[in-house]
Amino acid sequence: MNSKAPKFILGAWIIALLSLLSFPLGAQVADATLAGAVTDPESKVVPNAKIFIKNVVTLQSVETQTDSAGLYKLSNLVPGDYEVSVSAEGFGTNTTKVVIAAGTKQTLNLTLAGVLSLGDLGFSPAQTQGSAQDQARLNKRSHMLKIHQRLGLIDTAPLVATVILGAGAGGKSTSSTDRFAHLALGSVTGDLYFLSAYYAIRAPKIQGTETRGSIRLHKALAWIHGPGMILTPILGIMAFDQKSNGEKVHGIASAHGAVAIVTAAAYGASILSVSIKF
Amino acid sequence: MNKNTDLAIVFFLLLGIPIFAQTDSQWVLEQSTLTYHVTHPLHQVDGVSHAARGKGVCHAGQCDFLIAVPVKTFDSGDSNRDLHMLQVTRGGQFPMVTVRTQLPESASGSATIHADLEIQFAGQTAKYNQVLFQQKSQGNEIRITGTIPATLTDFKIDPPSLLTVPVKNGMPVRVEMTWQRQK
Repeated sequence: MNSKAPKFILGAWIIALLSLLSFPLGAQVADATLAGAVTDPESKVVPNAKIFIKNVVTLQSVETQTDSAGLYKLSNLVPGDYEVSVSAEGFGTNTTKVVIAAGTKQTLNLTLAGVLSLGDLGFSPAQTQGSAQDQARLNKRSHMLKIHQRLGLIDTAPLVATVILGAGAGGKSTSSTDRFAHLALGSVTGDLYFLSAYYAIRAPKIQGTETRGSIRLHKALAWIHGPGMILTPILGIMAFDQKSNGEKVHGIASAHGAVAIVTAAAYGASILSVSIKF
Repeated sequence: MNKNTDLAIVFFLLLGIPIFAQTDSQWVLEQSTLTYHVTHPLHQVDGVSHAARGKGVCHAGQCDFLIAVPVKTFDSGDSNRDLHMLQVTRGGQFPMVTVRTQLPESASGSATIHADLEIQFAGQTAKYNQVLFQQKSQGNEIRITGTIPATLTDFKIDPPSLLTVPVKNGMPVRVEMTWQRQK
């Protein structure tokens, strides 16, 4: 065997090794370009979309944005395997893989992912879609209940005055002035009361709403002061007539005062039951 | 190809399955308690809902989350007030509250997360950056708690009033959620 042969083989190995080493060294030249367009699921271009590219080996990453035409360009990329993520406001993130070759200008068009929808969560369209009519019903309800509330509060003034004057109009008093004043204030109280009640009764009902909280007491008390507001003036007229005829108030008419007091008390409690909340 | 090579390939394939599975996972909201708090000089109000539904979809380490709850499911203990709140928050026309956020999948391993939230409510969209949440991991489940610093003006809501005094603008929403990972 020739003595130079081992040296030749060793030299060949060194050259081969260096050649092998030189490939990855050469592959690290950052001369590749990746460009493309970003569109939404309906193929419309998306400006200001964020493109995030990450080398899966080195984990080095670069970020850019699409221009007003929905185009992006990433230059000076090192060849290798990459993950490309695209995201934009109002869309889900979409990720894809791409192999970048040395010295190439590659095109990669990206499509944004559709966002998770309420349907994905199991909500039906009936649950998620409101309507102007539904909102109008709520607005009308609130509007009418506000009027109900205001009229109810205003009504407390003539109600209290009527009760106070009632002491002078009934009993042994013979003053017709007190009786007429009591009658007039009582009429105003009744009118305002029924006007207020109208707005509460006619306010639109919202289906599927269970009554909870202090409004239950408020409504329950209406079953006392409502009939009371009907009965009190009837008994009051009977008592007024008896008194005007010079008679002592007698029979069922004598219950006028007691019914009025119970009615006024229930009315006051009804107001208080809803006055400690908005 | 010998048996050892075959075994090696099978071994690496088996190893590969969970690695690929990690890139596409989902999170599902199992339980939730959302509580809004409203302050009036005369009293405090808390409205609670347990009706939120949520989902998170993860791709390549990034997760998109959507959480939604019907406005009318918030219960403050008084149906009249709840209907009033539904009205002022335009719940008839916009019946849902939705929250969207993106988080890195790796966030599930930390004790706290800072999330950028995009909230749609009352027909408006508001963004809250870097909202702090605490989280505790138990097996496949994660329990998340935190408070979203929402205000009425963020959503152009006219404050309800009592005795002509309006409620305060702040309406923080306490969040308690249990998420389950699904692969």
